[in-house]
Amino acid sequence: MRGMAKFVEPVRILAVVLIALAIGFVITALVSKEPAQAYTALLTGPLPRISFENGFAIKNINRFGNWLEESTTLILLGLAVSIVFRARQFSLGAEGQMLLGALMTAVIALKLSLPFPAHMLLALAAAMIIGFLWGLIPGLLKAYLSVDEIVSTLMLNVIALQLFDLLLFNWLRDPAAGFVGTAPFPASAVLPLLIPGTRVSLMTILMLIAVVVAWFLMARTPFGFELKMLGANRKFAEYGGVNTKRVIALSMAVSGILAGLAGAHLSMGLLKRLTINLSPGLGFEGIVVALLARNDPRWVLLAGLFYGYLRTGAQIMERSSDVTREVVLIIQAIIILLITAERLFPFVQQWVQLRRSRGEAVVEAG
Amino acid sequence: MSLEVVLQSIFSAAFIATVIRVATPLILPAMGGLLSDLGGVINIALEGIMLAAAFTGVIVSGFAPQWFPGAPAWSYPWLGALAGVLVGMAMGWLIAFFHLELKTDIILTGLAMNILASGATVFLMFSFTGDKGSTSTLASARLPSLQIPFVNNVPVLGTLLNGENGTGYNIMSYLAFVLVVVIWIFLYRTPAGVHLRATGEMPDAAQSVGIDIRRVRYQALVASGFCAALGGLYLSMGYLSIFQANMTAGRGFIALAVIFLGNRHPIGALIAALIFGTASALGTRLGTMAIPPQIVEMIPPAVTIAALIIYNIRRRARINAAARRFQEQATS
Repeated sequence: MRGMAKFVEPVRILAVVLIALAIGFVITALVSKEPAQAYTALLTGPLPRISFENGFAIKNINRFGNWLEESTTLILLGLAVSIVFRARQFSLGAEGQMLLGALMTAVIALKLSLPFPAHMLLALAAAMIIGFLWGLIPGLLKAYLSVDEIVSTLMLNVIALQLFDLLLFNWLRDPAAGFVGTAPFPASAVLPLLIPGTRVSLMTILMLIAVVVAWFLMARTPFGFELKMLGANRKFAEYGGVNTKRVIALSMAVSGILAGLAGAHLSMGLLKRLTINLSPGLGFEGIVVALLARNDPRWVLLAGLFYGYLRTGAQIMERSSDVTREVVLIIQAIIILLITAERLFPFVQQWVQLRRSRGEAVVEAG
Repeated sequence: MSLEVVLQSIFSAAFIATVIRVATPLILPAMGGLLSDLGGVINIALEGIMLAAAFTGVIVSGFAPQWFPGAPAWSYPWLGALAGVLVGMAMGWLIAFFHLELKTDIILTGLAMNILASGATVFLMFSFTGDKGSTSTLASARLPSLQIPFVNNVPVLGTLLNGENGTGYNIMSYLAFVLVVVIWIFLYRTPAGVHLRATGEMPDAAQSVGIDIRRVRYQALVASGFCAALGGLYLSMGYLSIFQANMTAGRGFIALAVIFLGNRHPIGALIAALIFGTASALGTRLGTMAIPPQIVEMIPPAVTIAALIIYNIRRRARINAAARRFQEQATS
């Protein structure tokens, strides 16, 4: 029976993804003159093309790179969300933690001058520390004062955004730039490039390490076990001797470290500077990744790669067809709705049975 | 730029008029969120519902001449508003359906609705207008403002009652204040209001006395969709007369905070919304002076967190006191 359940869950998730993609296609077909081409671009765009015309060459390596870059950020955010969701804490603070992480890297990058590895490492550490602290605030408030974490994290997101703008406008902004943004970071504070022709950087390796660490933390340490117990039943965990207050506070703080790193990836890896409106809403994208992965870090890797693929494909689709990339948000919303619908399949079954029995009744009556 | 100038600009009728305008899109969704929250079903999707309604109102009123050739021109804004409200209610119903029938987590369902709205509005805006940023190419309608007659010549009163331009406030601003009163009466003076609060406070007890809690929650979520939609319509058909991508800019989330800051009471929420509105209006004013507007904008969220802390400390003290009394009684 247990083996059966293990098998059913991935199939269910796969079915949900396929249904969501199918609905996405129907929506695309409604507005597009060339829905098949658009959807082909969405689903195959990020793949590099291997060409044999002038000898062996790989084309579109930048698209492949975009996929990895996008996935790196999403996996970090997905890990951040997984940790809090595992403890059943609805912290929505990743957005603010990410923004402040990026902000701190800019402060270190532009206001200090240090040699290469030290400068970069210090900036990364700053992003992680601020993420930890910004996550610790709602964690402590929830643990010791029962302050609802949804409202507190949403409010801390607003404060973080204002802090971001405040420092950017008044302190970090480069007046010579034609837009609201900082000067480019010095090379000593930029993440080293991994694949030439793309922006895939050291952060992709750090992300892989983060996946392993998060998996180890959640599956092989007492903290991970306490996290799981807390998520299953707080009263029971308390009865079992878990210091639930500490675990609640720490779950949100540790989650913040990863969101802070995601912010550092945006500034030190992708943009190599700070700009206004860094990436509104991106902090919420970790949720779909965590849900697809059922809060398991190993599956977060896969789910993040999948969702990153979809987002990159959507950008390519937007450039090469008459469909905007926002279709991927619609697909994402459908995935969340269907994946969290525990009673979806029983409900459909019941409905079909009802229809069938009605049909039979009609046949019998006729 | 002395303190005097600042104070003068704050304690002016024009400033109060601005506050009312800025607070309207917070009061309306907060009233909706309050209804569902008191019914025990928190609605995180206020933001998305506002956005979807704002978009629908602009599109339907803008295309009304083509879609409803027989309709008179004065009806265009109302057709848009009607469509927007229907979309908002439909979204509220969908949340209820997914949560109550399919047993989804209501918070995740709400988040999914927000994501759906922010994606679908841009997606559809592009296919309707060919633009992804705003509907500025579409001539959409504005909901009327109500001008109170005869007071414009009275110095302070004219500005206070009809705004700086003397054209009056948008009808949605009046509706916001009316709604606060209506919801207060509903919650505390009608049986249905008692049923709603009972459903939220103690669902099992409510059910045991024959309240259909499922139906109450359906109604609460649809009603919250209705109110949030009004807030969204105000943004795109009153405050501005276009739709912009993500124009709600977090107001739906702030409305949630407003509910908590207002101690889950309609009058409290109204006051909280006015506090947020004041800070926002103040931020814009001070922006022209030496104080960065971001600092002022940080105050309301910080106040919200502080209010939540104080509320919980007091609640804990109350519980402890009750426990102590109980123990004393038990031992004596």
